[in-house]
Amino acid sequence: MNTSTPFYRWLAAALLSAGVTLPAQAQEDPIKVGILHSLSGTMAISESTLKDTMLMLIEQQNAAGGLLGRQLEPVVVDPASNWPLFAEKARELLAQEKVDVIFGNWTSVSRKSVLPVVEELNGLLFYPVQYEGEESSENVFYTGAAPNQQAIPAVNYLMNNVGVERWVLAGTDYVYPRTTNKILEAYLKGHGVADEDIMINYTPFGHSDWQNIVSDIKRFGSEGKKTAVVSTINGDANVPFYRELGNQGIDAADIPVVAFSVGEQELSGIDTAPLVGHLAAWNYFMSVDNDANYDFIDAWIDYTGDEMSVTNDPMEAHYIGFNMWLEAVRKAGTPDVDAVKDAIIGVTVPNLTGGYAAMMPNHHITKPVLIGEIQDNGQFSVVWETPSTVAGDAWSDYLEGSRDLISDWRKPMECGNYNVVEASCGGGVEAQ
Amino acid sequence: MRITRCLTLWLLLCALMLALLGSAQAQQDDPGKPLLEALASASYAAKSDAIDAIVASGDSRSRAWLEALNDGKLQQNKQTGQFVVVLANRGRNWPVEDALSGEPLGEMSRRELDRIGINNALRGQLRSTLAVLDLYVDNPDARLQAANDLLGQVDAGMVAPLEAVRDQEPSEAVQERLTEALAIYRLEQGDAQAIEALSGSLHPEARAALNGAAASDDPALAAQAKKALDGIEQTLKINRGFETLYFGLSLGSVLVLAAIGLAITFGVMGVINMAHGELIMLGAYTSWGMQQLLPGQPGLAVILSIPAGFLVAGLAGVAIERCVIQFLKGRPLETLLATFGVSLILQQLVRTLVSPLNRTVITPEWMSGSLVINDALSLTLNRLYVLGFALLVFAGLMLVMRRTRLGLEVRAVTQNRAMARSMGIRATRVDMLTFGLGAGVAGLAGVALAQLTNVGPNLGQSYIIDSFMVVVFGGVGNLWGTLVAGMSLGVINQVLEPWAGAVLAKIIVLVFIILFIQKRPRGLFPQKGRAAEG
Amino acid sequence: MSLSNTPSSSSPLSNLWLTRPFSERSTRIFLTVLALALAVVTVLHLALPAGHPLHVSSYTVTLLGKYLCYALLAVAVDLVWGYLGILSLGHGAFFALGGYAMGMYLMRQIGDRGVYGDPVLPDFMVFLNWDSLPWFWHGFDMAWFAFLMVMLAPGLLALLFGFLAFRSRVTGVYLSIITQALTFALMLAFFRNEMGFGGNNGLTDFRELLGFDLRSDATRLGLFLASGVALALGYVVCRGIVGSKLGRVCVASRDAEARVRFLGYRVERVQLCVFVVSAMLAGVAGSLYVPQVGIINPSEFSPLFSIEVVVWVALGGRGTLYGAVIGAILVNYAKTVFTGVMPDAWLFALGGLFVVVTVLLPKGIAGLMSRRRKADSETQLKEATP
Repeated sequence: MNTSTPFYRWLAAALLSAGVTLPAQAQEDPIKVGILHSLSGTMAISESTLKDTMLMLIEQQNAAGGLLGRQLEPVVVDPASNWPLFAEKARELLAQEKVDVIFGNWTSVSRKSVLPVVEELNGLLFYPVQYEGEESSENVFYTGAAPNQQAIPAVNYLMNNVGVERWVLAGTDYVYPRTTNKILEAYLKGHGVADEDIMINYTPFGHSDWQNIVSDIKRFGSEGKKTAVVSTINGDANVPFYRELGNQGIDAADIPVVAFSVGEQELSGIDTAPLVGHLAAWNYFMSVDNDANYDFIDAWIDYTGDEMSVTNDPMEAHYIGFNMWLEAVRKAGTPDVDAVKDAIIGVTVPNLTGGYAAMMPNHHITKPVLIGEIQDNGQFSVVWETPSTVAGDAWSDYLEGSRDLISDWRKPMECGNYNVVEASCGGGVEAQ
Repeated sequence: MRITRCLTLWLLLCALMLALLGSAQAQQDDPGKPLLEALASASYAAKSDAIDAIVASGDSRSRAWLEALNDGKLQQNKQTGQFVVVLANRGRNWPVEDALSGEPLGEMSRRELDRIGINNALRGQLRSTLAVLDLYVDNPDARLQAANDLLGQVDAGMVAPLEAVRDQEPSEAVQERLTEALAIYRLEQGDAQAIEALSGSLHPEARAALNGAAASDDPALAAQAKKALDGIEQTLKINRGFETLYFGLSLGSVLVLAAIGLAITFGVMGVINMAHGELIMLGAYTSWGMQQLLPGQPGLAVILSIPAGFLVAGLAGVAIERCVIQFLKGRPLETLLATFGVSLILQQLVRTLVSPLNRTVITPEWMSGSLVINDALSLTLNRLYVLGFALLVFAGLMLVMRRTRLGLEVRAVTQNRAMARSMGIRATRVDMLTFGLGAGVAGLAGVALAQLTNVGPNLGQSYIIDSFMVVVFGGVGNLWGTLVAGMSLGVINQVLEPWAGAVLAKIIVLVFIILFIQKRPRGLFPQKGRAAEG
Repeated sequence: MSLSNTPSSSSPLSNLWLTRPFSERSTRIFLTVLALALAVVTVLHLALPAGHPLHVSSYTVTLLGKYLCYALLAVAVDLVWGYLGILSLGHGAFFALGGYAMGMYLMRQIGDRGVYGDPVLPDFMVFLNWDSLPWFWHGFDMAWFAFLMVMLAPGLLALLFGFLAFRSRVTGVYLSIITQALTFALMLAFFRNEMGFGGNNGLTDFRELLGFDLRSDATRLGLFLASGVALALGYVVCRGIVGSKLGRVCVASRDAEARVRFLGYRVERVQLCVFVVSAMLAGVAGSLYVPQVGIINPSEFSPLFSIEVVVWVALGGRGTLYGAVIGAILVNYAKTVFTGVMPDAWLFALGGLFVVVTVLLPKGIAGLMSRRRKADSETQLKEATP
């Protein structure tokens, strides 16, 4: 199919760089950008497009003259969906390749695996996926959504605009759904939802037989109160889940499902006709009506050479993260990690939904929250959005241990887990 | 020459402009225009009124508009304000037609169009609105569907017309449904008489209404509703039992399908075929490829992909046998190593050639939805087909092994290779065909699984371990064993799942297999005789 | 095959099964090569400045340490597969259990330096609202206990599993598949957050081991050397077992189990004994692996990993022990190189390697090495016969 295009592009790039940029290279080395996304194994399905996104952004930036008069050079490695390998590859990027910044990771566990390495070798990591929060590192920038930028607004929408009274919290058994569901449970109970009106269900990764669970949900929803499913089901398990929903006749008008891990890319592998009306909460949808977004989509389609290729939320997060990093490097005048780390706080760049994203002192960014309904063409149509952007919260206000913690990496505090009650910086995370 | 061409072009342009202006003009005068403009307003409450206005207008196009609105295909040109219906909405440029005149307008880009938004509440309203319209059509199935859609959706304004429709309705089933729909409405208004009409109903909406009544302040009503609910609960329990059994058999059929090919390559030939999962994957991708070749005909594509999947995977199997496995005669354990390598290559091949992303396989109309036994028990059609398909494949395979010359030769070669060869059987050819057969059956499994799960590069990996478990649990080399093992593991899993949870159920099944093998070290149906000491 | 390796000389030392291996040529070569490699890496790492082309960075040291752990695991698998004839597709379970035991110790060493600052509970427990430490976490704050559990936990599991399986004479593929079921079940269990092992995220963010900072280069070098020593010890233990009377019964039961039974040997006891030793070695490998890679998570239990280990052994040459070491190091080195050099196509290379080696080198790489020797001796034989 389109396999030959990358080769020609590579050839063209090689010729171009040989002919045009050689003099520039002779003066200064390129700035190296590490890309740490799985290209094989179970996560390749989600992460490989992020690698391509980064390559596209870097290509665009080089075409526009590079950064600080230097070219950007991508360094791609494959951690193969293997968590120890993530740490090893991060070390390779930082210690061997000496990259100036890393864009990468998708799963929580891969981030946890890389975290000590990035801190030890003082690297920069931009993490583009929505995650569970409860973490703050001096060296990591979280450009995906924290729970307060996705889950809480979505539940609010269902409660206030749809009138949902009974809740099914269904998720894959790992830390992101566990935390999100814990936060949501606390939040719902705080809003007067009774215990018996909340059903929590966890399934293993890649779960493919949903008959019993979907039938349970159907029963749970037929007790007279408006019911909704809040799904934190991950990746591959979604296709059989939605298929089963469609076949057991669960209509979005009866029991809507709002998903936090299902985007355009996941939908591109599903026949969406039976799913019209089910919801997802993200900070970006491909269908957002905005010229910056249309330009991004056009560039992406040209880059992939596939008219049907889609964009999604983590891609936008990389777009924002990359632009923020560029801006910070320009501001600092050097790609040096410590300088960029200080310069990036407060940097504001346009996002793809027509607003701006700012880097907060806790290394999270501001994002709008959008709720979309699935359409029959695999796209979402926005039915609700927050009036303004929401700042990401590293430590949830709804969890026991983290309620009193804040994170602020500006001088003089420079602490990822400052306890406001005890007025001290907690242990760990390179506290000074 | 040049001037004439220029002139023609200019004239053409003029004509085009006129046509456009004309259509815009036509929209200006059309009575439907204000109706649609009301729909384009920002607030969902106003849109709801606009829908009612469209229905009330009696415009002959109202149904088409509402359907387009329901599908999100009713859109407005940002510049001209012209209303259009999008005919196909994939990609960046969409073919459109004028919403009022129905004229085709060529293609418009996403950037130019504004979708008239709709949410679930409006969709619910549209559904009941369209359902009321459908009650007047001639097709009784459509009327029944419409009556079904009305359950729980009846409001005060609809009662009188619905009663009139019900009294004229020739079909008994539709009548019953309408009575139920009306009873639900009346029960919601606190009418205790309605309980009787609902007491036999298993429909979730009826139960929802009864639950609502049982929680009401009126003690007599609540007690009556509770009694009706208890009666329903009894029937539900029985239905739930059947449902679990069906779930179990369905999961079992998936396991059998996935394992049956392995029962040949591993069970009969003794090749520890780690690439089995990838052969399944090839079948699934064939199913996807067929749908790409035959766009718009998913049903035909599914049927054609059955032989195609068999051939593709079978040929791949033959290739693997010729290139790798035939060199490993008498070293069965090393086939594990080589086929593991093959599986890595096949996975990456699919990633490189097709895409690392999952592919969409569309479920044809006749395979989606459920077979409704009653309101509480419906069998999902795609799984029902897969169950039937699994049994067919099994029967076919038994036939091949028992009744054909190939089957005879296969059995002869596996039982005593040297003897078979001395009887004139070309053992290498038989090996090749056997492996091809097993691989082809794996391809068939892939075609079926494409209807249930992801079609992606990881498809194979998720089934390979289960497949080995099933074959070993059933007894290596015994096809009946594979069938019984797959089905029983499926049922055990589904029976355990409701009270143990999905993860624990699976762990329990695995521990059960480990303990079972201690009791019967050669599986459910051990091979007897000399072949057992292999 | 190992029978022929037994030396005929009868020095007094050769009566002790653990010292006998030292009189074997292959063992001496292996130990010498290993010691040399350790020494060279250490010298190149410490003596040369960071910019020097021959300098071995701490990244490489850790990488090599990881390979050595894998090599020890491969030796453990080769012991049961090569000499006992049990194709274990579940040795990853023992490896991971050893790793978890070490991981639990390392977690307890974090103390109040976790993000929530809880002095006793690890972060993930605070986060999931555990009130107190589950019973099986007690004792892991003491190094001796943890190190004991590194061997005991996999050993006990192997004892229980082996007792059941060997007693009822489960053999061949049936045994292989239930070992696979074992590791699969454990993987699913450890994925469950209710188990108290950190679920999918596993155990991570380790800080120090026996008081040494895990993020310092010296500790890394130390762990690398420890892995080398563990590999050497494991190798000698295995070689000792293989060369002893026990080992000969092993090989005999691999080749003709029924005959050995008829001769009056309790085959199941022999099998159980060797299986348990092998599991403990795998546990040790896991425990050294975890501090070097910095994370332990249930994916180490994944059946595919265990299959991969078997592939290393087969690639290196089954039933030779040193072949397993070569296979493990070679495959993992290839993986490291390929995933960096050709990230999009490395699976082709790896898969191709497996196929080509199996088809062309039936005895693995070790077979390639001994083939030359055999060819020499065969020509000698031929010359001698006429």
